[in-house]
Amino acid sequence: MSKLHTEEFVVNMGPHHPSTHGVCRLMLTMDGERVVKIEPVIGYLHRAIEKMCENRTYVQCIPLMDRFEYVTSMSADMVFSLATEHLAEVEVPERAQYLRVIMLELNRIASHLIFYGVTAMDIGALTPFLYGLREREKIIDLFEMTCGNRLTYNYIRPGGVSKDIPPEFVPQCREVIKLIRSKLIDYEGLLNENPIWLARNKGVGVMPPELGISYGVSGPVLRASGVEYDIRRDDPYCIYDRFDFDVAVRHNGDCYDRYLVRLDEIKQSCRIIEQALDGLPEGEFKVKKINPFTFKPPAGETYARIENSRGEMGCYLVSDGTNKPFRVKLRGGSFNQLQALPYFGTGGLIADVVAIFASIDVILPEVDR
Amino acid sequence: MTRDDLKDYIASHFGDKLTALDTGRYDPLYELKAEHLVEVARALRDDENLKFDFLCNIGAVDTTEHFEAVYNLASTTKRLRLDFKVIMSHDNPEIDSVIDIWPGANWHEREMWELFGINIRNHPNLTRFLLPDEWDQGFPMRKDWDAPDFIRMPEPET
Repeated sequence: MSKLHTEEFVVNMGPHHPSTHGVCRLMLTMDGERVVKIEPVIGYLHRAIEKMCENRTYVQCIPLMDRFEYVTSMSADMVFSLATEHLAEVEVPERAQYLRVIMLELNRIASHLIFYGVTAMDIGALTPFLYGLREREKIIDLFEMTCGNRLTYNYIRPGGVSKDIPPEFVPQCREVIKLIRSKLIDYEGLLNENPIWLARNKGVGVMPPELGISYGVSGPVLRASGVEYDIRRDDPYCIYDRFDFDVAVRHNGDCYDRYLVRLDEIKQSCRIIEQALDGLPEGEFKVKKINPFTFKPPAGETYARIENSRGEMGCYLVSDGTNKPFRVKLRGGSFNQLQALPYFGTGGLIADVVAIFASIDVILPEVDR
Repeated sequence: MTRDDLKDYIASHFGDKLTALDTGRYDPLYELKAEHLVEVARALRDDENLKFDFLCNIGAVDTTEHFEAVYNLASTTKRLRLDFKVIMSHDNPEIDSVIDIWPGANWHEREMWELFGINIRNHPNLTRFLLPDEWDQGFPMRKDWDAPDFIRMPEPET
């Protein structure tokens, strides 16, 4: 029989599709049931954060950073503070360094719990969403206890952190770590061997490691392809070189491995937090000499980068010696992940695109800025 | 390789192309002539001891006298970091694309084109993506572009 004539057609997914995690539009070119081309259309959330920063003092920029990456806004605060500290060559007190590590890792766990719930929900399983957000709530309570906010923390500032932790924080934090450790067994029990979960994720959206590196993909997505690259270990910032933890790596590069890497990372984060709580010293929690209005880092430029739950988060900061930054360029992990999506996301059904998009854990404010 | 070793290595192997700048903080920063961009970028990626295979970021800066494009590189195997910048004229900013070397440069360069008006030579897809499609108010990240924090809505006509 001669081959039937087929014609490609375009299916529009988004911008208000529930599984696009924000407002992202994917233009899918279909050949029958198969996706042959993906074209991401972004920009719906562009708020010109970089331009707004040029009109504010350094400390006033921190609330904007919370909106740059709202799921792990501790990381966004951290990367801007780190860049500012590079420029001003500020020595951050020990206690502040430990508090930062505790908050960053708690935030990483919270972000991975959101991933766990939302990804499963995209694929059709509602229960993990309830489980993941239940434990995340306990972490959010810890943040609320410390800085009063539940989503946009404005906590890590140039020169330290904004407030010291209350006395009941440390025991409650230990409780939360213990709780998450015990609940991880539930999480794994729900999905790891689940036949539907395996069918939807195993072997789907395989990303070769070379493709990931050349497109600037980083974080858990790259590590799931067997590239052992973690900025916390390879280019340590803060005091990460003092802690003992393993870099979670998996080797198949499919959606299922991306999920496993994140669960492994939760365990490693628990280890880091416990070590930081044990070593938490007494002392100052911020340097006194930074006045939010008159703080002027000397002229210069730097690129600071940290390991966020979505890969490398970077901030390129230029100072001209005044109290406002001359130029801020933010780099979110999702930006490069979304850019690489058309090169490993094709070949499957539309339902596979949903699974792949969920597994790279894109959030759109970070892409559009 | 420590930061000092890296500086020595760059001075001995790329000394004629990459000039060290003293404005960089923390990681070493170099200046590169625009005509050497593609050649040096490829050499940095392929060098056995450097292997700068990971392009973290490209940031453009409008210094009001000229434009700069800053490339932030990292190596996934050698634990190295390096920045270099290319300076362009303010009247006619143009730069070669590095997509052949790091495909991930694609969107970063598009952003540079869109927000700064820097023309990227040999870029396959220079189209708008952050700004609205019908945008006609110039290049918003340039310093001479007025950025009011609040725009007063026009008074309704009675």
